[in-house]
Amino acid sequence: MKHEKNRVNRLAYIARRLLRTVLVTVAVVLVSFFLIRLAPGDAATVMAGQSGYADEAFINSLRAEYGLDRPLPVQLWKYVAAVARGDLGMSYERRQPVLDVIVARLPNTLLLDAFALVVAMAGGIVLGALAARRPGSAGDAGVTVLAMLFYAVPQFWLGMMAVLVFSVWLAVLPPFGIETMGADHTGLARIADVAQHMILPGMTLALYYMASYARLTRTQMIEVADQEFVKTARAKGIAERQVARRHILRNALTPLITYAGLQASILVGGTVLVENVFSWPGIGTLAYEAVTARDNPLLLGIFIVTAILVSLFNLVTDIAYSIADPRVELGR
Amino acid sequence: MKEFLSRLLVRPQTLIGLAVFAAIVVVALGAPLLFPKGPFTIVGMPLLAPGSPGLPAGSDVLGRSMLVGLAYGARVSLLVGISSTCCAVGIGVLLGAVAGYYGGVVDDLLMRFTEFFQIIPAFVLLMVLVAFLQPSLFSTVIGIALITWPQVARVARGEFLVLRSREFVQAAQLLGESDLHIIFRQILPNALPPIVVVGSMMVGSAILTESALAFLGLGDPGLMSWGSMIGASRSAMWVAWWTTVLPGLAIMVTVLALNFIGDGLNEALGPRGRQ
Amino acid sequence: MRLDRRSVLGGAASVPFLALHAAAARGNVLNAMMPAEPGTLCYPLLNTRVVQQICGNIQESLLLLDWNFKPQPNLARSFTVTPDGLVYVFHLEPDVRWHDGAPFTARDVVFSCDRMLRQLNPRSRNAFNNCESIRALDGLTVEFRLKQPFNAFLLSLMASNAPIMPAHIYEGSDFRTNPHNFRPIGTGPFKFARWERGQYIRLTRNPDYWRKGYPRIDDIYFRVCPTPEQRMVALETGAVDIALADDIDTVVSKRLRANPNIVASTHGYEGVGEIAVFEMNQRRWPFSDRRFRQAFMHALDRDFIVKAINFGQGKVATGPIPSSAPYYDRKVLTRYDYNPAKARAMLDEMGLKKKLGGVRHRFGFLMIPDGGGVQTRGAQYVRQAASEVGLDIELQSSDWAGFAHRTGNWDFDMDNNSYGEYGDPAIGTSRFFVSSNIRKGVPQSNIQGYRNAEVDALFAKASTAIDPKEAQAHYSRLQQILTRDVAMLWIFERDPMLYYNRRVHDLVSGPNGPTDGFGRTWLSGEA
Repeated sequence: MKHEKNRVNRLAYIARRLLRTVLVTVAVVLVSFFLIRLAPGDAATVMAGQSGYADEAFINSLRAEYGLDRPLPVQLWKYVAAVARGDLGMSYERRQPVLDVIVARLPNTLLLDAFALVVAMAGGIVLGALAARRPGSAGDAGVTVLAMLFYAVPQFWLGMMAVLVFSVWLAVLPPFGIETMGADHTGLARIADVAQHMILPGMTLALYYMASYARLTRTQMIEVADQEFVKTARAKGIAERQVARRHILRNALTPLITYAGLQASILVGGTVLVENVFSWPGIGTLAYEAVTARDNPLLLGIFIVTAILVSLFNLVTDIAYSIADPRVELGR
Repeated sequence: MKEFLSRLLVRPQTLIGLAVFAAIVVVALGAPLLFPKGPFTIVGMPLLAPGSPGLPAGSDVLGRSMLVGLAYGARVSLLVGISSTCCAVGIGVLLGAVAGYYGGVVDDLLMRFTEFFQIIPAFVLLMVLVAFLQPSLFSTVIGIALITWPQVARVARGEFLVLRSREFVQAAQLLGESDLHIIFRQILPNALPPIVVVGSMMVGSAILTESALAFLGLGDPGLMSWGSMIGASRSAMWVAWWTTVLPGLAIMVTVLALNFIGDGLNEALGPRGRQ
Repeated sequence: MRLDRRSVLGGAASVPFLALHAAAARGNVLNAMMPAEPGTLCYPLLNTRVVQQICGNIQESLLLLDWNFKPQPNLARSFTVTPDGLVYVFHLEPDVRWHDGAPFTARDVVFSCDRMLRQLNPRSRNAFNNCESIRALDGLTVEFRLKQPFNAFLLSLMASNAPIMPAHIYEGSDFRTNPHNFRPIGTGPFKFARWERGQYIRLTRNPDYWRKGYPRIDDIYFRVCPTPEQRMVALETGAVDIALADDIDTVVSKRLRANPNIVASTHGYEGVGEIAVFEMNQRRWPFSDRRFRQAFMHALDRDFIVKAINFGQGKVATGPIPSSAPYYDRKVLTRYDYNPAKARAMLDEMGLKKKLGGVRHRFGFLMIPDGGGVQTRGAQYVRQAASEVGLDIELQSSDWAGFAHRTGNWDFDMDNNSYGEYGDPAIGTSRFFVSSNIRKGVPQSNIQGYRNAEVDALFAKASTAIDPKEAQAHYSRLQQILTRDVAMLWIFERDPMLYYNRRVHDLVSGPNGPTDGFGRTWLSGEA
């Protein structure tokens, strides 16, 4: 009976959330559309300024090509109609379909995010568990201070420090890009090449979130350790390690799932700095390039794709959470 | 008050944080007195190592003293951190209070609004905003305030939701006091503690955001900021490590100190510490 | 510690999976870089440096420039000019084929110059609007009839101004959307092979190239490399063989020059003749007053700018024409030495006295966005130099769109930029000083608003003079007037640096350098 009710609830919830996603995405598009248009200069002036030579005919022909000379509401209407059809338009600077450009770069960001997330979770859980083992000890305080340190470090600076130490001084890891330029590896060699390039940016990205995980794990484990069923297990004489592993950790993990989902959504739009420092060819650097070039369709496309991805991540996380912990009712 | 102070100052980290922060404030305020020529004055050849004559922290890519730059950078960080947080808190408290107090449609609207800011990639939005407003101190402060106020609003809303059904509020309503009066004179003082905690953490993150913007070249070009110092050192780092390392350490120390203070405030003002 | 392939691999030996790095099979392949992917590979559509460097290998011009700035035959085997300078007849190289096998004829030249370039490209438009008619006399002969003599006309036919495009591909189509904009076809030594988005553009040798014995390389890769630091590392590790102008920040030039595998050279950009300048909006006071501009020049230590800000690269400029270019006349120039005391005296004299707070005047300086490079640093220095004579400058930064928009619409006090002369003052210099090129909304025009009737007349006379001595006389007088007036603040001649691996030879064969392609380049062994 309850099973049935839960399923119906869940489907209704999903439907509501999807509707909300669409509405918010539309709001995102509208706001960004006007915001970008209001900035001084447009793609035509950028190109004119960057070519060695320019005159009015040149600028006007570019404007006509991009439809920048039409009135604003007309431009907006044309854009919205196209997006509804799944056509995100053409990038001004690259003269390629926006969707293609984004799809080409998105996997690079997702790869980096996934790596960073895994490292952050693994490292964070280990640190947090260590700290929670003996709360109040020197080890515990040490982990807390370490976590606070990770919070305070500017991400872009950390990346540059990593380059300084590992590429400039020690020369053991490559400082830029996703692959060795010109090597054209395939198969296993390519995987190894990408993995090697992923180490520095991935670790840089992971460090901040590792701190969060450590603190969260520590708090959760301490809380859970206090709870009744654990005390019961201990009273029964089950070995301390088993208690930790079986009962504490598993129960502590649930909020971590939610947190992971939150992180995933932040990461999709939050890699701009790390990607910039390491010249990682992902969505972050794409967004920066789009802002600089006033490439409106590309920028709007990034906003839309990101908004959709983030909403989906959040939705999946919420559902996963409700499955993991059946006591949770899917709320608003 | 005394109880609050004693709870605040009991942890060594908080004390260290306060001491370090105080030192940074002193440096920031005293920079024009110590180094009246300003951080943009070229004093020698570029990229001289720390310890060179007259340059305890070395010189940057233009031949300016790193030490003077670090001192003046403190002013920018503190100025931006504090003012953008004040703006964000102002906006956030206002909107959060209204939403929490009145509930209903107003609250719904606010929740949609904050959700909007959660979904949009915040830093990209910030870049667009700064491009729109042209990079300057003003656009930095406004930009950071605009993407961080939802955090405050959420906390404020939560507090007001809880507090509005308390007895003292109902009493005030029965007495016929105006809504405005209730919100600002009755509820707000009680809602302050978590808002203060959030605010103090936000100063640190605002400093990090400002340095990130300056690093990307989107900060005020007339100001010497720690982030812009790091951004200017991207090529120079390969031949002069101090141009990158020193400003970053400055940021880290400042934000760490602020985080310690925020943590301490959290403990002191936390649920156990409140009325 | 130097980052070269050997030390990377040496350090790598300690980390097992790094050892999977095999040195890329290099062979007879030239690896180059591009800072960003070009928006198109149709040069007339978008004449940026990146497109130039790639398309210079695919398409060719009628003539090439030698180190003495004299035109040499290319697609045009020979040419004649009538004594009155009005009629140019070019005899084309026979048996030349386009990359798709179609024959190259006079029709292609007429189409390119008269229609495609004139319609799309501002610089070509400037040149070909001088022509009364352009027509094919027969399959291999083209006649250009000018309305009046234009002594820079031959220079207009260089690769960077007039690449010859295939008529059979572009005629009758919409130039902007022609699919061959992404798969260009030319007559040049290299054919377009592949564009791997986000990674590289590959060109491959043209086996039917009309110049026998060339090219001497099999493939060229232009690899995407967005930041200066990345490009430096790529060059040091041997991932790329060449770095072209502005690819690498001058900050690290010492490090690169110390690298035994890398050669540094400043030859190859004389044809561009780029000068870093400051411009002033001469519609506004005090910029309208010549004395202010002169005083400002005295306040700048341009030697310091070259030594400390550009790390020794380049040389102090003396006027609108670069010292290595034709028509340069050192005798007539007004020089401005670094003399802050004199600057202060001049400002006092013109009535710009110090007010309360020691500031005479406060104004803005719009910086060209160059990612913190030489121009940005130069602006920082200028602020300090100006403050020493009582002028308070507010630095304004912008991105490309904002900068182009503001300068084009005259919404600035002072700005910095760098301009190429392109071999002849009529092409690259006059556009900034003739009143007819004061056009609102167009960047890179006479945005300062400089007006001088004598200068207008002189430029017109100089470019139409048939006798080179007469042209020189006019250009000398122009240099005299412009430097006396400080019509623009010429700061330093850029001398961009080319860095290349030891194994590369004959990288450039003339002052147009990389724009003319790598048709004569060859590679030796392994570095």
